[in-house]
Amino acid sequence: MQEELKGIIRENLIEIIPELEGEDFTNDETFVDLGANSLDRGELITLTLETIELEISRIEFVKAKTINELADLIAEKRQALV
Amino acid sequence: MKAGIEAMNIYCGSAAINVQDLAKRRNLDNERFENLLMKEKTVPMPYEDPVSNAVNAAKPILDRMSADEKSSIDMVITCTESGLDFGKSLSTYVHHYLELEKNCRLFEMKNACYSGTAGFQMAVNFIFSQVAPGKKVLLICTDITRMSVVEGLSELAFAEPSSGSGAVAMIVSDNPLILEVDKGANGYYGYEVMDSCRPIPDHEAGNADLSLLSYLDCCENTFKEYQKRVEDADYESSFDYLVYHTPFGGMVKGAHRTNMRKFKRAKPVAIEADFQNRVEPSLRYCQRVGNIMGATSHLALASAIDNGDFSQPKRLGIFSYGSGCSSEFYSGVVTAKSQEILKSYELEKHLNDRYVMTMDEYDESIRTNKDIRFGQRDLKIDFDRFPKPFKHVKGKNKLVFSAIKEFHREYEWV
Repeated sequence: MQEELKGIIRENLIEIIPELEGEDFTNDETFVDLGANSLDRGELITLTLETIELEISRIEFVKAKTINELADLIAEKRQALV
Repeated sequence: MKAGIEAMNIYCGSAAINVQDLAKRRNLDNERFENLLMKEKTVPMPYEDPVSNAVNAAKPILDRMSADEKSSIDMVITCTESGLDFGKSLSTYVHHYLELEKNCRLFEMKNACYSGTAGFQMAVNFIFSQVAPGKKVLLICTDITRMSVVEGLSELAFAEPSSGSGAVAMIVSDNPLILEVDKGANGYYGYEVMDSCRPIPDHEAGNADLSLLSYLDCCENTFKEYQKRVEDADYESSFDYLVYHTPFGGMVKGAHRTNMRKFKRAKPVAIEADFQNRVEPSLRYCQRVGNIMGATSHLALASAIDNGDFSQPKRLGIFSYGSGCSSEFYSGVVTAKSQEILKSYELEKHLNDRYVMTMDEYDESIRTNKDIRFGQRDLKIDFDRFPKPFKHVKGKNKLVFSAIKEFHREYEWV
């Protein structure tokens, strides 16, 4: 489940920053280090919530700095909804 | 019963810079800087402040009014987050220099970048309520950023190139020649969030990511509420143009993309074309002035009216967001006549008339700003400090900020 979520986030990130296609990057690198500016990070959160059809305010995810952190935070918020 | 904007004008200073030059000077990541869609920004000169900008925006409107029309102005509302005093309102200075009647209600509105919309809705509701038939409201949104230090932090990297200075003045009345608002067609959305703020005078603090996310949340949810109140409202077919609060163009592009995907399941190519058709006309002036906070959504509105095609009457959807936060989506109708009247104010010419500073001159203006602080008791403005931009106001019947004596601000017509 978490791995699938991380895969979705990675795909979305590559869609936003096409330069990352084929690049070797880990799930622990920060979005900033991967070249994502504020707009890109906003788009990543939006796109990911849309892909998994999760209706939670975007502002809840502002603290996530990496793919792993975003995946964990989404899992946590999703759990809280159950 | 109609209500809305009868007249409109802007004043966005006498000096500007090219923000691409600034990005180079500050070593910002140029690769992705293009995506922000910024071109120029107004740089406030020492002799300009929120009052002088407000008066210079309103004066050409009042000069076209008869004495009777002027005396029908029942309220002067200033909307700003650049207040000069915790008690005294800017509207009192504005009212004085515009020589308006004393039987007039004067006050100021604050709610970050939402202030202009708060003031506008107050004015519109005053007209709809008919408590004073035939009376008008002078509404002026005016904000300014005097950069005091050059922030090197990446999080604030967009703040410097995007912060502008300027004012938008409007007459709101029952003769809405420029924009007739759709009565009751308003969707609001607000909650407590610490995204961006001014905890102390002359200094802005905040989290750019949080602000962007909050803006996107509000952009979506204000329209959902609008849809509840307006039968069959559709994000695509109901509005010929969309006007967004525009801190910088890239943010608007992101919000439009998100909403078109959410509400219309639109694909990237279609979204891009729709953005160029329905949104781009509203961005042009904002891209040349920068973010003027409480005045930005109305500057975007002016840009849409000037640059859109209004051979037929068209409906505009308008989104306003203010950090903290409060937001609103509302709408109105613009006609060929609206555009004709607004064009007679030559807004684009005014923007072209600003002096374009070199980066050295710009950095010098930032150093000068440390001498103009909030709460100063006495100050004399040296008009010779920046002679080149000053030539762009001198002899043009503009009001300039000249001194502070015992906390009281003084202005001169030059």
